[in-house]
Amino acid sequence: MRSILHFTNLFLNQYDIMKKYSNIYKIGLAMALVVMTSCNDFTDSLSDLNKNPNAYEEVIPEFLFSNSMLDGVAFNFTNGADGQHFIFAQAMQQFSTHSEVRGTGDKYFNESAARNHWAVYNTALADNQRVINRVNEDPNDINMLSAARIWKVYLFHIVTDVHGDVPYFEALKSSEGMLQPKYDTQEAIYEDMLKELEQAAAAFNPSLPTFGPSDLFYGGDTGKWKKLANSLMLRLSMRLTEVRPDLAEAWAKKAIAGGVILEDEDIAKVNYLDGQIEHSRNPKAANLLVQDYQNPQAGVSNTQGGKFAETFIEHLKMTGDPRLNVISVVWISNPDGNGYVYDTATNIQRGMKSGALFGEPEDFHTYSEPHPNTVLSYASPVLTMTNAETNLLLAEASIRGWYNGSAKAAYEDAVRAGMRQWALFGDEGIIATEKIEAYIARNPFMENGSFDEKLEQISTQKWVSLFLDNYEIFSNWRRTGYPMLVPTNYPGNITGGTIPRRLIIPDSELNLNEVNFMDAFNRQGVDNLLTSTVWWDPKFPK
Amino acid sequence: MIGIMNIQAQELALGDDRQVGYVKKKVEINNLKALIKTLEPMYEVSIVCNSDLVQTKIAYEVSDKSKSVEEHLTKLTSKSNLSYHKLDKDFYVITNKKEKRAINSDAVPVAVPYNKSHESVKKEAYRVEKIEEERITGTVSSENGETLPGVNVLLKGTNIGTVTDMDGKYVITTPTSSGTLVFSFIGFSSQEIPIGGRSIINVTMVDESQALGEVVVTAFGLERRKESLVYSVTEVKGEEFTKSRETNLANSLTGKIAGVNATSMASGPGSSSRVVIRGNGSLNGNNQPLYVINGMPISNSPSTVRDQANGATTDLGDGISSINPDDIESISVLKGGAAAALYGSQAANGVILITTKKGTRQKKGIGVELNSNFTLGTINIFPEYQYEYGQGSQGVRPQSQGEAISTGRLSYGEPMDGQPYVQFDGVERPYSPSNIKDNIKAFYRNSTNIVNTISFAGGNESVIYRASVSDLQSGAIVDGSTYDRQTANVSVKAFMSDKLSFDTQIQYNYEVGTNRPGVGYVGTNSAWGVYLLANTVDITDLAPGYNTANGQEVEWQHVNQATNPYFARDRMGNQDVKDRVIAQGSLTYDLLPNLFIKADFMRDFSSWREEDFYPVGTAFRPLGTYRSQEELRTRSNGRLIANYNTTLGNGINLTALIGGNLERDILDASNLIGSEYIIPNWISPVNLNILAPSKGFFRTGTNSVFSSLDFNLKETYYLSITGRQDQFSTLNPGNNKIFYPSVGGSVILSNAFSLPDVINFAKLRGSWAQVGSATVNAYAINQLYGFRLGGHLGVPVQTSSSAISNPELRPLTSTTTEIGFDAQFFDNRFGIDFTLYRKINQDDIVSTSIAPSSGATSTLLNVGEISNRGIELLLTGNPIRTSVFSWNVSYNLAYNKNRVLTLAPGQATGNSSLLGKDSSTRFGRSYQYTEDGITIYNSISGYAMKGPTMPLGIGVPPYTMGFENTFTYKNFSLNALIDAKFGNQFFSQAKQYMWRFGFLKETLPGRDNGLTVDGVDENGDAFSKNWPSSFMSTYYNNDGQYATNFMIDGSFVKLRSVVLNYNIPVDKLNFVNLTTAQISLVARNLAILYRNSDHFDPEQGSDPNSNSQNFSGVMLPRTREIGFNLRIGF
Repeated sequence: MRSILHFTNLFLNQYDIMKKYSNIYKIGLAMALVVMTSCNDFTDSLSDLNKNPNAYEEVIPEFLFSNSMLDGVAFNFTNGADGQHFIFAQAMQQFSTHSEVRGTGDKYFNESAARNHWAVYNTALADNQRVINRVNEDPNDINMLSAARIWKVYLFHIVTDVHGDVPYFEALKSSEGMLQPKYDTQEAIYEDMLKELEQAAAAFNPSLPTFGPSDLFYGGDTGKWKKLANSLMLRLSMRLTEVRPDLAEAWAKKAIAGGVILEDEDIAKVNYLDGQIEHSRNPKAANLLVQDYQNPQAGVSNTQGGKFAETFIEHLKMTGDPRLNVISVVWISNPDGNGYVYDTATNIQRGMKSGALFGEPEDFHTYSEPHPNTVLSYASPVLTMTNAETNLLLAEASIRGWYNGSAKAAYEDAVRAGMRQWALFGDEGIIATEKIEAYIARNPFMENGSFDEKLEQISTQKWVSLFLDNYEIFSNWRRTGYPMLVPTNYPGNITGGTIPRRLIIPDSELNLNEVNFMDAFNRQGVDNLLTSTVWWDPKFPK
Repeated sequence: MIGIMNIQAQELALGDDRQVGYVKKKVEINNLKALIKTLEPMYEVSIVCNSDLVQTKIAYEVSDKSKSVEEHLTKLTSKSNLSYHKLDKDFYVITNKKEKRAINSDAVPVAVPYNKSHESVKKEAYRVEKIEEERITGTVSSENGETLPGVNVLLKGTNIGTVTDMDGKYVITTPTSSGTLVFSFIGFSSQEIPIGGRSIINVTMVDESQALGEVVVTAFGLERRKESLVYSVTEVKGEEFTKSRETNLANSLTGKIAGVNATSMASGPGSSSRVVIRGNGSLNGNNQPLYVINGMPISNSPSTVRDQANGATTDLGDGISSINPDDIESISVLKGGAAAALYGSQAANGVILITTKKGTRQKKGIGVELNSNFTLGTINIFPEYQYEYGQGSQGVRPQSQGEAISTGRLSYGEPMDGQPYVQFDGVERPYSPSNIKDNIKAFYRNSTNIVNTISFAGGNESVIYRASVSDLQSGAIVDGSTYDRQTANVSVKAFMSDKLSFDTQIQYNYEVGTNRPGVGYVGTNSAWGVYLLANTVDITDLAPGYNTANGQEVEWQHVNQATNPYFARDRMGNQDVKDRVIAQGSLTYDLLPNLFIKADFMRDFSSWREEDFYPVGTAFRPLGTYRSQEELRTRSNGRLIANYNTTLGNGINLTALIGGNLERDILDASNLIGSEYIIPNWISPVNLNILAPSKGFFRTGTNSVFSSLDFNLKETYYLSITGRQDQFSTLNPGNNKIFYPSVGGSVILSNAFSLPDVINFAKLRGSWAQVGSATVNAYAINQLYGFRLGGHLGVPVQTSSSAISNPELRPLTSTTTEIGFDAQFFDNRFGIDFTLYRKINQDDIVSTSIAPSSGATSTLLNVGEISNRGIELLLTGNPIRTSVFSWNVSYNLAYNKNRVLTLAPGQATGNSSLLGKDSSTRFGRSYQYTEDGITIYNSISGYAMKGPTMPLGIGVPPYTMGFENTFTYKNFSLNALIDAKFGNQFFSQAKQYMWRFGFLKETLPGRDNGLTVDGVDENGDAFSKNWPSSFMSTYYNNDGQYATNFMIDGSFVKLRSVVLNYNIPVDKLNFVNLTTAQISLVARNLAILYRNSDHFDPEQGSDPNSNSQNFSGVMLPRTREIGFNLRIGF
């Protein structure tokens, strides 16, 4: 800089005429030089310019695994805003709406949002694959690899359950240049997923490092991951009862022998916080709040016109289910005249008819909504695999003769677990033991019933116990046909008045992976509609 | 720039050291005769004077440091009562100042005329002197009111003449009061004005824009004679943008230039403009041209922000919207690659060169100019709603307040009968459309636009300067929405010596946008509610849109995202403030008379702050939202060029240029996104439960070297060769360099051959050029990971992108081949300029969608190949040209055919593929038909099946044209511009929703007795279904799926601008000292002469960031603006 100015002076002195301007000139030049040299952009090399100072270029497996888990469990609900929630929770008649907007699930209109789950491929599954690619080299990373493999199965089983044949073996390999993965049959996918669970569970080595606290389920407890793998194996095996009972039986037995989640402390769940970090608030609660049940309008009016469905509320009332009072409220005028307060009294709970004719009813505010301090609590957890479900799976295994334990005991344990778990949602979710036992006494397991009656009882209990786990409720309903739901037949619905049985694979696959998509499309012969079916579905054409 | 530099060099050279024979000798002179005798041989000139003056005593010394002869004479006459006149080249007359007559009959030569040829002149002079003489004075100015120094003034048919002085003033003494004065000046049409006995004749010179010898600004601000160019360039004078003005300058280009497609966005004042030259070249880049001001690039990214909770887009303008039209001298558009090659990669889409006004030398004082413009805008088009069936659903009107809210946007009720029915607020009002047909008018106001600019210009031998300040205040048609812009512009050029000059321009902008309207989708978009309100509800009943006690939004229908329009307008808010400085300085140094070097530095710096919010009480976000964004954006360029000019002999002239350029762009952004206000009605980031900051920092750089060689043989044959190498920071070393050449030639046929007399000028040109480019964002080649802010319950959480990086990317190449022809006929009254071009972009870097099942949704690939071919035609005419009336007409037409030639493997195929189609093709699904055209129905649902995805239309019009007429009658002129575009379509989301909600006539069939649909089912069997009338709401709602229903034809012919101008004859207004005064009635978008669009203006507009321009959400209605413009110079 100094030398440049010096040079400038020399240069200027050569020209007498310029002397009187030289000050202005020097100042001008100096300013220009200061501007140019003060920004190192001109001195940094071009490749240095292309480094983002605010991003990192390496995968940190544990940190990215957390992201995959957060995305993955949120997928069960939030993606596509009024998407899956309204398809499944409404189609399964737990929620209903007076809205006629194309997204509604209780009237079987939903087509656009029925494509949104596919995005799990490029979010939770893609991140998990990046983690796998990082930890599959070093044998010391085996615990991380196993957890990631189990998590991959969890994510993938939903994909195939809602879509049928999907890319599996060749999927998630864009970084290796595989941009058009083949579609695999659901049968092959199931076989591999079961194998993966077995292998991953077997590979855990408690003496080696884990994801530690980044493992949002278990903080790195490999024993609990093993139970999760077996529980998932049990869920998957039972899915095959109608299509491959042989496989179902073999894998169910293997899962049970391996040990499933039975204790409350083994529940696979992600915890959240009612704090100032948005993504650390329960995504299901946040979604329901944003979409519908936001205070201070609660009860009076809401965006999607949503309420609890009559079918669900009536069932809870009919069975005297104490869960009614921890999940459902009616907003009533505050006695002090200031706004509304919620009331959990059983007698005033009522659900809105599914698929009712369009238009907000006059008595809209008198219908039940989710409880603000349990279902809608930001601090509530997302339950991914519970002992309520495993016990119901055991009960079913028992009535099928694949499990030696008592179906009744398993069923009752399931009920107890399913009621206890509401305590996780907040203090207002605690259900007294007496109420639980009273419910069991009022609704005893039908030990002397037929197989179908038992299956119905177990499946209906699953419908209630897995409330909010809409994917699993939907899959179980398709497989067993329980609970028996009366479809709605709203004018102009797109399923011919039948409850949807599949989600739709988005056009991106038809456009960008056409050959493989069409292969699968033709192979299955069920089209790509809400009325299509998947291989394990008893309604799948044989 | 070359032109100016050369003139300057010449002037200065005369000033000092002219080496003529006698200069060193000191001559003492005591009378005029002696002086004349000394000067005549010394300068090889002839000087005469009246005989009675020959012995006039003077004291004068011709010193060693003597000046030119004219300077001597000036010096002499300034000290005495003598004055001198230049009668001819090297021929002067000295007279007595006091005498009225310049030269009397006995003027005699002092000596034998030095120059023999002056003999006859002298005789002529003597003859002339015998006649009574007239002294005529006046001022010569240009059309924009600037006085013109150096204009030649000649008495027609004689050699009597003079030139205007620094103030454009002239004095000429003529022997007659009935002759004709001829005013001529380079770049302007010569004017012949009969004296008609007047003693003051002020003249406005008319720009000779279509004629020969036109000088245009090309790369780096260098001025070139238009006829020497080997490529197509069009220049538009700044004048054309100031009267009938647009707040965004670029919008004014529409219809002006063949091949330049300028589109304004229907998103309020201060919004962006979209300019595309010769079609979209790239699928990925923004395809807009590079804007260059006085030789330096500015940044021009359209900025939009999306409503953070919903979907409306707010258009915050672009880089070009900061420029004040009053500061513009001219705009040149370089369309082809050859024109742009020297500007490098960013010029692949063409270059728009803006030259700002400079100061002018004046003898005394400064020139002041004031321009005021006021316009009022009114909505020009309203949709055609049906007013037969009123609010309701399923054929029934609302029976309760709840139903009235549920059906707030639905008109599927009963036939209107005027009976009272309950509305959204529980109040009963008639079931009729009275007052409702004016809902749109009732919600909006007139837009206003007020611009005042004052400029000062002046200069002397060593400095010329111009300064202007401008104030723009505009109000959108949405109440409370304003955009204000203050601009200050300073231009100084200092001539430090005969060799060194310094040139600087600094522009400072302060722009404030308040409550800019959201457009597109719901949320902050008040138009959504305005256009989609049930047809028996008076919109004013929705006001004020909120409960004044608690701020709660009043719901008018049940989908809360669709905000109450009054709430969106008055309660939601945004404000953005931009400070922008565009500063540049350059030093030019003449190493030799024919070699100069020039160093430039420029920085476009802008600081932008934006804040927007939903208040507490918003139905969709009851706790409110908040966002603030801050951006520092800079574009810096440093450049060094050397320019050498020489004559090689044999009439070949060579100009060589070599240079280097460094460009650095930075975007440094900080955002805060929050929600849940703690204390209601206090909009502040410190008053939030949730607040998340984020930070973005993007730097890119390009290093370039370039060179050009221009050969010129006898001003008849021209050859131009350029070469440039760019190196990009956004690509990996090894792949990041590209060299690209261009070559072009032209022949002036009218010089080379003897052509028929009717052809005044004819030129053939051809060029081939490449431009390399890297349309890649910073860091796009790196796979990057971020973190979730705050982690999750104490655990850090890493995030990723669903795009996979491609480190192998390399630059793309745009190759333009162009041939053209231009000619002038019939005394330059008619002209034609025709261009045929082909532009192929290869290795286009395309953000390629990939099947999400691969684990990513997109990647960047060098795969695209897009071609644009087209023609451009300009016809000009001056059918009538008399001293009182003239008619100028110009017509331009361009046709561009855009085709995607290759795409990546794995891209959409078949009907939904862009391959072989226009890159702005809109795809969608229609009904499914059999081969015989019979509709196929889904037997389960009874709806028509959706057909396959298919092309529905293209978004960018292939045909654009402009037709301009200017009539001048004495002091009046009338200018009218008609522009037209044809051949494009866009999908209108507004129409889709209006249809679905039953507002359109198309949804009337079946309302009375139901609708029977006939066709075949999936299996080809006959199918028929009767939809009862109560199902019509669902039936037509389902129609929303068939995109063909909602395509709108974008073709139009518009009366784009009309200016009726009156030049007040200031010379007659003796009580004020004005140099110019003009008053104009102005109008923009006065009328749509042709359209084929339903419901909307065919330019209903779209996202400025969108290349395809084939989609429109619910936008602001378009307006026609009418107002006036006043310009005063003194």
